[in-house]
Amino acid sequence: MKTPDSTACHELETLLPGYSERSLSAADAERVAAHLPDCPSCQRQVIQLRALSDDLDAALPEAPRTALRANFMAMLEAQKQLLQPAAAGSVRGAAPAAAKVVSMWPAALAGAWVRVAASIVLVAAGVFLGRQLPWGSRPGTAGATAASVPAPAASPPPTAALAVALRGDSGQTMSASNRIALVASSTHSSAPNDATVQVLLNTLNFDPNPNVRLAACEALYRLRDAPGVRDGLANALPIQTDPNVQIALIDMVVSLRVHRAVPQLQRLAKRPDALPVVRAQAEAGIGKLI
Amino acid sequence: MAAVKADDLDQLVPLFERYHGPLFNYLVRLTNDRENSEDLTQTVFERILKYRSSYQPTQPFKAWIYQMARNVHADHWHRQEKLRAADVDEVERTGGLCTAAFAQMRINSHCDDLHEALALLPTPQREILVLNRFQGFGYEEIGKLLGCTAEAARVKAHRALQALRKIYFAN
Repeated sequence: MKTPDSTACHELETLLPGYSERSLSAADAERVAAHLPDCPSCQRQVIQLRALSDDLDAALPEAPRTALRANFMAMLEAQKQLLQPAAAGSVRGAAPAAAKVVSMWPAALAGAWVRVAASIVLVAAGVFLGRQLPWGSRPGTAGATAASVPAPAASPPPTAALAVALRGDSGQTMSASNRIALVASSTHSSAPNDATVQVLLNTLNFDPNPNVRLAACEALYRLRDAPGVRDGLANALPIQTDPNVQIALIDMVVSLRVHRAVPQLQRLAKRPDALPVVRAQAEAGIGKLI
Repeated sequence: MAAVKADDLDQLVPLFERYHGPLFNYLVRLTNDRENSEDLTQTVFERILKYRSSYQPTQPFKAWIYQMARNVHADHWHRQEKLRAADVDEVERTGGLCTAAFAQMRINSHCDDLHEALALLPTPQREILVLNRFQGFGYEEIGKLLGCTAEAARVKAHRALQALRKIYFAN
């Protein structure tokens, strides 16, 4: 309010929004129009109000995620279920429109006895599978079932079993979490030897699941003093494509000071398909190793 | 809505389709929190179902549903207020962060500036502007919703616009 007539400005201030959107009465509009030419401050206000108004009009509406609709439909469906009498058979409007969320179990099937029967079947199936499938039993028996696979002569049975289980040679593929458990226990259960290292390296290089490969990485790190581990880690570098495994491997060769991994790291740092963070990690690793 | 009241719940679907976007927008502008606003929008429709018997067919549905949304927001606000009061230290500590965040916001795009300025308005003023400018409410409707005359709503809206202008063009 630098103008001398600041009381007039103050009075008119409440009229300016109306003036800027041209909704004032004729008399008020005239008062403002008479004041404006002499008052740069109020002129600026009108300009700002119009700019603000334009910006408000231009603001885009926020759109909710589609989850909102799904939640609503689910809620509506639940409410409808509540409305309908619980007695089966009197299902009103049993053919819902295509766009509606349909509950997974038709009301007629949701009877308690079906659930009880289903749970009994599930439990029975679980018991049956547990007795039949080889990996439910101890590793030693698993080795026995797959005796046709030649085990390294020098290695004790647990290593052979480990190799068989991890390779899935016994005909059944093992779940990833079971493989992780096996890999993790491989370094505790028996005295580690060359065969264990070889199996772990194979797992590291060829297991389809990156988490199992990471577990193999960790297990190998625990066996870092065994012969062949360092070379194996360096050789695994170019094979890996998963960024997590790549970074874990880079960290390991750096902390174990595997100098012969430098060429592999250099190649990895230039690989176009590697993530930028992996390439940066490889660069940093080279810096520490050289 | 009369059909919904008579327990034909499928009739709520077209109402949802028509109003959930605007309601969500209204709540986002009031709370400045997208995730919560989705929950609140859902709550509005839950309440519509729950209290469908209290709907008067003579009453415009739009006014009714916005009244519901206002109540849902007020409840939410009180809950938040309790949380805030319980941890004053937290507010004090994040004060500095907020200033930094606002500074960052100013660098961001134009549109964010506007929303940021809106967020800084007191809730009653923000609500009037949101209803008027984003939800397409006339002063008459706003007056009914807020329990005042249309003229009073107009004056409030103009004051709110002036207040927003001062924040928006502060620097």
